Amino acid sequence: MQVTWILPDGARVTAEVAEGLSLMEAAVAQNVPGVVGECGGNLSCATCHVQVTDDWAARVGGPEEFEDAMLDTVDAARGPTSRLSCQITARDELDGLVLIVPGA
Amino acid sequence: MTVWTPEDDGFADLTSHDTFARGAPHNTFARLRRDDPVHWTEWDQGLGFWSITRHADITEMNRQHEIFSSARGIRMEDQTYEEYLARRTFQETDPPEHMQTRVKVARAFSKPVIAEYEQDIRDLCDEILDQALEAREFDATKAIARQLPMRMLGRILGTPEADLPWLVEKGDALIANTDPDFTDHVLDKMDTDEFRMMPFNSPAGAELYQYAKELMAHKARSGDTNGILNMILNPGRDGGVISETEFRNFFCLLVAAGNDTTRYSIAAGIQAMCHQPELLGQMQSGAVWETAADEIIRWATPAIYFRRTATRDVEVHGKMIREGDKVLYWFASANRDEAAFEDPFRVDLARTPNKHLSFGQGGPHICLGMWLARLEVRVLFEELSKRLRSIEAAGPHQFLRSNFVGGIKTLPVRVVPA
Repeated sequence: MQVTWILPDGARVTAEVAEGLSLMEAAVAQNVPGVVGECGGNLSCATCHVQVTDDWAARVGGPEEFEDAMLDTVDAARGPTSRLSCQITARDELDGLVLIVPGA
Repeated sequence: MTVWTPEDDGFADLTSHDTFARGAPHNTFARLRRDDPVHWTEWDQGLGFWSITRHADITEMNRQHEIFSSARGIRMEDQTYEEYLARRTFQETDPPEHMQTRVKVARAFSKPVIAEYEQDIRDLCDEILDQALEAREFDATKAIARQLPMRMLGRILGTPEADLPWLVEKGDALIANTDPDFTDHVLDKMDTDEFRMMPFNSPAGAELYQYAKELMAHKARSGDTNGILNMILNPGRDGGVISETEFRNFFCLLVAAGNDTTRYSIAAGIQAMCHQPELLGQMQSGAVWETAADEIIRWATPAIYFRRTATRDVEVHGKMIREGDKVLYWFASANRDEAAFEDPFRVDLARTPNKHLSFGQGGPHICLGMWLARLEVRVLFEELSKRLRSIEAAGPHQFLRSNFVGGIKTLPVRVVPA
C-alpha cells in the first residue's frame, strides 16, 4: 500500500509500505522528519504523532484508551484526527493514505 | 587528545561492582559484541544470566516485551516473589499494566510541559555556576552536576528547599547501594537481609516513605492537590488506585532515578570537556545544541544495564535462552557499538542521527524523565560554556562502585573563567 506524509513545510514523502508494518516503523524507515518512535512502538513516548487527513479519518479510526491518554502528551498541538502512528497498521484498505506530520 | 581509556583485559567480571569502579569494562564489551553477543555468565551469588551487548540486538529484543519481561525483576540480583511484590514499581511491570501507571504521570513529564521549566533551569544554573566557579579548582560532580537535578527534583515534588540535601543523600543511599561512599549498607558486602522488603534493600526506603507520607499530609492540609505525587495517587483508567507500598516505591524511584542519572550525565559531559578541549569552542559557537545533550547522555550511559526475564524458550544467535532465564541488556556496551556509532569512543556533539540507548529507547520502559534530562543537560552546558575560557582535569576522576549505575563520583577540575 502507498502512504504519503505531508511535512510541516508542505513537502511530501510518499512510500510503498508493506502490510502489517506500523506507520511509525514505515516513517522511520523513510526518514520522515518529525516521526521518531523512540519507544519502538510501545505507546510510551508519543514521538510518532500524526494527523490523519479528513478524508481518511473514518477509515483509520480513532485511538484506543491508552493511546488517547498519550496523545495528551504530544509536542505539537493535538487535533481531532491525531493518532500515534505506531498504533496504525498498514493494511490494504488504507492504500493511498495521507498523513500530516504536525510542526512542533 | 585521548579520552579515558578502558584498561580491563577483555575478560572482566561483569557481576563485580569493583570492575565498574575502574570504569565500564569496554574491552570486555567489545570482545563480547564481536565474538559472543549472547553470552552466558555463571554466578556464585545467584542464578546465571545472559548478556546482550550489541546495539541491534538490544533494540530488537527490547521491543519484544512479551518474550523478555520486566515483571520478574530488572536487576541482576534475584528476588523472591515476596521481595519482588514488596519492592516493585511500574518499572517491574509489562504492558498493558505498565500503562495504567505510566499514563497518570506521562503528561507531567511530556516534552511540552517540561519545556516550560527552561527558564527555571537557567536561573538555577546561574546560581549554581556563579557559586561553583568562584573557586578555580573544585570537584565538578559535587559543585555542579549534583546540584541541578537535586534542585529540579525539589521543584517537581514540591518539597521545601531545605529538605533537598537530605532527600538526595537518601536517594544516593538507595541507588548507589553498592558504594560505601554513599551507604552504610553495602549490598554485596554485608547481610542486608533485614531490609530485603525495602526498595533497593535499603533502610533509606523506609525513611523516604515516612517523609513522603508527611509531605502528602502537609499538602492535603494546605489544599495542594497538584503535582506529580497527587497524580500518581489518582485512580487509573481502570479505576484502580495504587497501594501504599506502590506509592512508597514510586516516590523512592523518583528520588533515586530523578537524581543520579542526570547528575552523572552532567559529570560525564564535564569530563569530556576536560579530555576533548575542542568541545568548549563547539559549544560556544552555539551550533550544537540540537544534538549535544543526547551525545553527552550517550557518552555517560548512567543506566549501565537493565534486566529482563524470558517468558519462553527462544533462540538468539544460536544460543537457547530458556524460559525463566535472566537476560541483561548492556546499554553501556550498545552505546559504544562500532556498528551503530562512528568513532564511538569520541564525543561528537553534532552526532546525528544519534540512536543511543541511554533512555532504554526501543521499548515500553523508555525513561519517563528523558525530556527533563535532555533539557537540564542542554541548559547546564549552554550556561557553563558561556562562562569558561578553559577547563581541565585537576587530578584523576573516580567512578561509582556499581555495575548498575555508571557515574563519575568525583571529578577534580581546574577552570579559567571567561
